[in-house]
Amino acid sequence: MTKISKHPDIIFIGQPNSGKSTLFNAIAGLKAQTSNFPGTTVMHTHSKVNVEGDILNIIDLPGTYSLNPSDPAEKVALSHLFLEKPDLIVNVIDASILGRSLELTLELIELGYPMIIALNMIDLAENKGMEIDFKKLEHALGVPVVPTIALHGRGIKELLDRARQCLDSGTEPPQIPWSRDVEEKIEEFERELPEDFPVVSNKRFTAIKMIEASQLLFDKMLQEINLPLKKILDRVRYDLQSRHNSPAYEVIAAERHHLALKIFEETTQVKRGRQVSPIEKVDNVIMHPFLGYLVFLGVFLVFFLLIFQIGNPIEELLLNPLTSLSAYLSTKLGTGLLFYLLDGLLQGVGGGLAIVLPYFIPLLFLMSLLEDVGYLARAGFLMDTFMHRIGLHGKSVSPFILGFGCNVPAIVSTRILESKRDRIITSLLIPFIPCSARTTIILALVAFYLGPFWALGFYVFHILLLAILGRIITLFFKIPSPGLILEIPSLKIPSLKNIWGKTYFQLKSFVRFAWPILIIGSVVLGVFQFLNLDKYINLVLSPLVAKGLGLPQELGVTLIFGFLRKELSLIMMLQALDVSYLDLMTVVSKQQLIVFTVFISFFIPCLSTVAILWKEIGRKIAFISIALNTGVALVLAFIVRWVLEL
Amino acid sequence: MISLIDAPPDKSLKIVGFVGGHGVRRRLLSLGFHKNDIIEIDSRSILRGPVLVRDLTSDTSVALGRGIAQKIMVEIIDKDK
Repeated sequence: MTKISKHPDIIFIGQPNSGKSTLFNAIAGLKAQTSNFPGTTVMHTHSKVNVEGDILNIIDLPGTYSLNPSDPAEKVALSHLFLEKPDLIVNVIDASILGRSLELTLELIELGYPMIIALNMIDLAENKGMEIDFKKLEHALGVPVVPTIALHGRGIKELLDRARQCLDSGTEPPQIPWSRDVEEKIEEFERELPEDFPVVSNKRFTAIKMIEASQLLFDKMLQEINLPLKKILDRVRYDLQSRHNSPAYEVIAAERHHLALKIFEETTQVKRGRQVSPIEKVDNVIMHPFLGYLVFLGVFLVFFLLIFQIGNPIEELLLNPLTSLSAYLSTKLGTGLLFYLLDGLLQGVGGGLAIVLPYFIPLLFLMSLLEDVGYLARAGFLMDTFMHRIGLHGKSVSPFILGFGCNVPAIVSTRILESKRDRIITSLLIPFIPCSARTTIILALVAFYLGPFWALGFYVFHILLLAILGRIITLFFKIPSPGLILEIPSLKIPSLKNIWGKTYFQLKSFVRFAWPILIIGSVVLGVFQFLNLDKYINLVLSPLVAKGLGLPQELGVTLIFGFLRKELSLIMMLQALDVSYLDLMTVVSKQQLIVFTVFISFFIPCLSTVAILWKEIGRKIAFISIALNTGVALVLAFIVRWVLEL
Repeated sequence: MISLIDAPPDKSLKIVGFVGGHGVRRRLLSLGFHKNDIIEIDSRSILRGPVLVRDLTSDTSVALGRGIAQKIMVEIIDKDK
């Protein structure tokens, strides 16, 4: 690939939970100009940063445990690293688990690009009683080491200074040799690589990666293009295997492991033995085989009720002036086009402000909190048993929980799942999770008019449905799930600044992308109403809406717009029925309200969700998802109507 | 030599090997689980759920599904946790 920018490329790479993104944000905070692409953050985030007059092109890659990828998110990290030679690698390490983290560092040193280490979270390491000799570590690795605490912005300046020095000198790290017999075998194979062989970085690294490569695909390719080389590769692997009594890739992994531990022991003193810190005591309760589940239920009950308790009064407060303004408009302007345009605008702007945001903001905030504390992985552990019942495992829990915020990033985050099967099933189920938009609808309609416990029941119903559907969908897949291997990061006290940052980032994308759709949708409906177009659409949909679901015929048009954004159905509902929010119950019955909410919640995933499904998993799955959701929505709405009429 | 699933929760254990496919072995290796590492079982969940394992050598905690835990062979080291 050719490089267009002449600014130096700096790649941030590290194991998951090493605080890489926090560090990235801490640096990008100093930025002159940034370009953040929402939705691609699981891929990589680019940011141009101005450091004392120099523009640096910083790339944040998803976390990876090693340079031998096992899930799609890791593959993204590596393809970027292998395809484009960066000018500098910043390896971010969680200092509190230095021993293990060094394994990736050693692999990066093998890669041989100029490199610098950000030894992050040194405060956590110190709390654990670890004393790291930075100079010694620097000497052992042959790479500059800078201690940082990204959360508090400590060490950032020095990191950037030393990064600058590395960029100027372009020094490549010296190779650290392994045991002689392994080293001999690698050299033997390295010599056999033809001159024109497509080498990544250097011959040694390429040779190592070829020996380590997973058997099937790569070997088959090599067999096709260079059979003699494949034979030598097999012999080298066999020699390593027979001498060490383990597969060749395990021999190499063990070399790194031992080297990492040796360096760790030489450079770090652990002052006191493992003590149970107060946080670990909390953790023991959260992970307790029995209490853990009580905590889990408690967390979600509080989560839900808190959002309602915060959102509800604010909503009521904001609605009153809105209703009077709308009434004022109607008396002043009569029924001309201007009235319909202005009223549509008012509904779109005001609906977003008064009905959506009061619930949306607390939801985003609490989601980020759960994420940053480290509760998501723990929920994965606790729920693994139940996930097995529906044919998945605990790692799918985190995408599911993210789905309560927004289905789109949840589907992107299924990249952490190793098997395609799990990705497809999880992605098909995610649209059944009530995202913040649908939570808003549930809270604004069901909780507001019928009470919070009705809304809670709605939530429980969603989850039950998810389980049943999961059970059914997995019947179509013959192969079983590969099983759970999930790292449980230590619990962390979150930083308010970080959580607010995340909330703000998502809020910004709502204001920029979703709110305009809400406003345009409402204005378009206003025009439709003026031209009487909505009547025709409603008439066409009438057999379904009025006969089938027993709803007011006027709601037909709102269902169509709900495809753009789920909240749009809510806001347009009031507009279409021509009532104010507080008077809604005068024109619809309790039963109609429930049927409407059920149908809207499950009916066809919103436009962005379909788009991301298409992009991430494929067209076929996107269409299956549409069919599945619409089918389920219809069946459920009919059943609910029938039950309520009994 | 016993499988991790049958190991007692109050003893230090040493990993002596892995059975099963390459995929699982590689994933465990990249998370820092190697042969000869000393590990402990921190917690087990109810209803045949996963096991929470702490690798003392690499200092990491990992939740392992039962299927995976069955594939890790360990031996009990004669000392209490």
